[in-house]
Amino acid sequence: MPVLSVRDLSIEYRTRRGPVQAVRDVTFDLEQGETIAIIGESGSGKTTLAVGLIRLSPRSARVTKGEIRYDDGKRAFDVLSLDAERLRRFRWADCAMVFQAALSAFNPVITIWEQFLDTGRAHGMGDKHKVHDRTKELLDLVHLDPKRVLSAYPHELSGGMRQRVLIAMALLLDPRIVILDEPTTALDILTQRAIIDLLRELRGRLGFSTIFISHDLSIAAELADRMLTMYAGRVVERASVDDLFYRPRHPYSVGLMRAVPRVSGAMGSVVSIPGSPPDLIRLPRGCSYYPRCPFHIEQCLEQDPPLLPVDTPKHEAACIRWEAVAAALGSDAEAPVAEKLA
Amino acid sequence: MTTATGVIDRRDVSRIPGPLVGLVEFLRMMSKKPVGLIGLIGVLFFLFLAYIAPLIVPLQDAVDVTAIYAKPSLAHPLGTDFQGRDVVNQIVYGGGDIITTAILAALLSTLIAITFGSIAATVGGRIDALILAITDVALTIPSLILLIVIAAIFRPSSFFALAVILALLQWPALLRQIRAQVLSLKERDFVEAARSLDLGLLHIIFREMLPNMRSYIVIHFIIAMTLAIYAQAAIMFLGLVPLSGKNWAIMLYFAYNQGALFFKDSFFYLMGPIMAIALFQLSLVWLASGLEDVFNPRLRN
Amino acid sequence: MSPPLIQLDGVSRTYTTPAGTITAVDNVSMTLEESETICIVGESGCGKTTTGRILAGLLRPSSGRLLFEGADVWEKKGNDLARFRRAVQLVHQDPYASLNPTRTIAQTLAPPLAKHKKAHGKAARAAMISLLERVGLTPPADFLLKYPHQLSGGQRQRVSIARALTVDPRVIVADEAVSMVDVSIRISLLDLLHNLATEFHVTTVLITHDLAVARYFARKGRISVMYLGKVVELANTEPLVSDPAHPYSTALIAAIPEADPTMTRTKKRVTLKGAEVPSLLNLPPGCVFHPRCPLAEPGLCDVVVPTLGDLPGGRSVACHVALRERQPAAELLGVR
Repeated sequence: MPVLSVRDLSIEYRTRRGPVQAVRDVTFDLEQGETIAIIGESGSGKTTLAVGLIRLSPRSARVTKGEIRYDDGKRAFDVLSLDAERLRRFRWADCAMVFQAALSAFNPVITIWEQFLDTGRAHGMGDKHKVHDRTKELLDLVHLDPKRVLSAYPHELSGGMRQRVLIAMALLLDPRIVILDEPTTALDILTQRAIIDLLRELRGRLGFSTIFISHDLSIAAELADRMLTMYAGRVVERASVDDLFYRPRHPYSVGLMRAVPRVSGAMGSVVSIPGSPPDLIRLPRGCSYYPRCPFHIEQCLEQDPPLLPVDTPKHEAACIRWEAVAAALGSDAEAPVAEKLA
Repeated sequence: MTTATGVIDRRDVSRIPGPLVGLVEFLRMMSKKPVGLIGLIGVLFFLFLAYIAPLIVPLQDAVDVTAIYAKPSLAHPLGTDFQGRDVVNQIVYGGGDIITTAILAALLSTLIAITFGSIAATVGGRIDALILAITDVALTIPSLILLIVIAAIFRPSSFFALAVILALLQWPALLRQIRAQVLSLKERDFVEAARSLDLGLLHIIFREMLPNMRSYIVIHFIIAMTLAIYAQAAIMFLGLVPLSGKNWAIMLYFAYNQGALFFKDSFFYLMGPIMAIALFQLSLVWLASGLEDVFNPRLRN
Repeated sequence: MSPPLIQLDGVSRTYTTPAGTITAVDNVSMTLEESETICIVGESGCGKTTTGRILAGLLRPSSGRLLFEGADVWEKKGNDLARFRRAVQLVHQDPYASLNPTRTIAQTLAPPLAKHKKAHGKAARAAMISLLERVGLTPPADFLLKYPHQLSGGQRQRVSIARALTVDPRVIVADEAVSMVDVSIRISLLDLLHNLATEFHVTTVLITHDLAVARYFARKGRISVMYLGKVVELANTEPLVSDPAHPYSTALIAAIPEADPTMTRTKKRVTLKGAEVPSLLNLPPGCVFHPRCPLAEPGLCDVVVPTLGDLPGGRSVACHVALRERQPAAELLGVR
């Protein structure tokens, strides 16, 4: 029983130039204890989707259709149907979010302890001592020294420490689902490594389900069980992490894999994806990846391709040419894409 | 190869800067906040009244003792003054001097503020300290009192001289703003690139930084005009300048001193110039308010 | 034997703050030849951006010299100095801040062309079109009248590069020039910069914290690794990446998450002692890396400051142990 079932979620922004279809018909399941990485670049809709899942979107955004079904075995409901009070209880207790650790994620004029207290109180933890005990417990879990961190102001902490604090804060009420938005972007390599290892450890100890949003493929490679690639607001491929990296079937996923250079091992052929993402207000008819796609044919312009099952189990790609993609990648099922197409 | 697809990132939409990409865009923005549009129409109306109407309507200067403070009628919609001359005609001819002087004063004060504000910020050090000191002193002196004193001592007889005096009272505020802006723009990447390309200080100030300060300058200019008009009204009303020519402020002086307050029929002789000044000021202020929104991309959505 | 194109000779840069003295760059020496591609990599606070700005002549070193064609830059005056300024151009990181938002692309490219190439009107326009083509913005005429906010991040970076090219520079320093650009188009920007070096003989220095980007960009060149203001390793790219000589470089390369699930989950890591990077105000004595270094030897590494020495294979490293053993740290740590 998936802990989160998203069906046909569509979110629209009102802008001066017209409505922007930021998220279109997104469907996926998140199982208990599973980690899903949602990969996309600017304009893909991934951040809109992330904040939309806990309904933190700005007022200019509107969910036009879909449902977000939450089911932890004891309670089940559609997140979109919750009233303000129940939504507040859902947020943080059932599903928490870790934002990018920029300074703007914190209130600059209060100490870290006060941020924890505020968060706890906002979500029903009235007793100051309980919050304190829980906070100390969590800071230990993320390998921070409470004595050093609690009395500090956000700007006194390094980027890595701030990210750990945000992770600790998200775990305050022991949620079932944790959503992380670009958790390692803008962090140094060694700090990134520490955070990735920490997330792995926490996931193992506490057993929560995770959704990562990132443009960074490597964090997906490290931590994800399953992946979704998003392009122009839609999910274009859904697969296990191995399938997506070694056997991608959507041309955009292939393009992404080939566009990311690696440090270790052979370099393979690395090449950018030509062109730029489409204008989300005036989306062309048919597949939105058409102009940049090396596999496109006339038929691709007829309609937006639905997610079609491909040649490996639990793997779907929104491309009518997936078989041609598979053929081009050849039969070596374990080598990374860049090497295969070198 | 990347092509010009005119892609606008969502991040860019909220950062659309000052450049007015066409008059239509400008008017569309203004129409969103009606106050701005009304201000624009008002200002255009008064400019027309002050500069173009006198070319059409002949001056009625003849003294007519039979029609002193005549009641408003078809021939004299706002009545006549203490010498039987038509009030409406005087209002038509009364705007030009005041507005021209105000524009001159605003122009001069803006130029002084831009020049010295930029110099202070780019050169820094002791020159900056000196300019700031002078500015602070100028800021603290009550301007109306100073104006009265200067007007009484120098007795400006030409409008240009008057404009210069008025300008000298306005520049401190804008100078500080310009200086602060230049200090922050100095650190911007594109300014650094201009320095590295060896484009010269003048280019950097006038072509890189100033266009980014357009909003401050234009809005200051408008406000400076309103202050100049009030200042003129004040010193002319108080009789501190030689009263040659005709303008609204002089009308006020005569109206007041010739007892227009005491007659029912001369009401418009007094109120006419007051309303003209007040409405023009209001139009200017509303125009400035509307422009503020046009120039500020973040207030747009 | 002509002098190298541009050289840092024992350059240091310190800042005095109320809290103490910060040594952002400490005794860095580097020699760059024409047409070279080189990357300066390191984490935040390592001094790579400061070094880049010193190279570009935008920051004056507190001690040491910046030499261009053999002559000390900060001793130059008048025309000579102007010539240097034009010869070394910086491309900034933030595509949203590097162009004047109130100027069209044509208005941005025109002033340097007018001032330095004396090109106006038609000649200037032709020059602009040729530049835009060279940086891959086609059709070029379409871009001339656009404002920066009408272009994507990648396109703006190309315009920045075109602007730098208007003065025919000999050296381009790109400070994290691809970090704020979409992943899928980074490679094409890096290819453009690489092309400038190979086809147009412009020495290109890329400053980045991303080793994968560094490896790709400098694949035919060198990488310099910096830590807390010092160069700890300087070598050709492939040897450095496959067999790093300094324990810090080794830890760094081992720590990088890779876009390859099997490889990244089975990669051998190097555990460093202690989690926190020392503050620049309070640098450790001897080798600044010793508190975290798995190879550190008490009595040596915490007392004597290592200097860059040579290892076989044309590599330089600032590590007592690696130099003494004549072996790269990667071998000594067993992560090869």
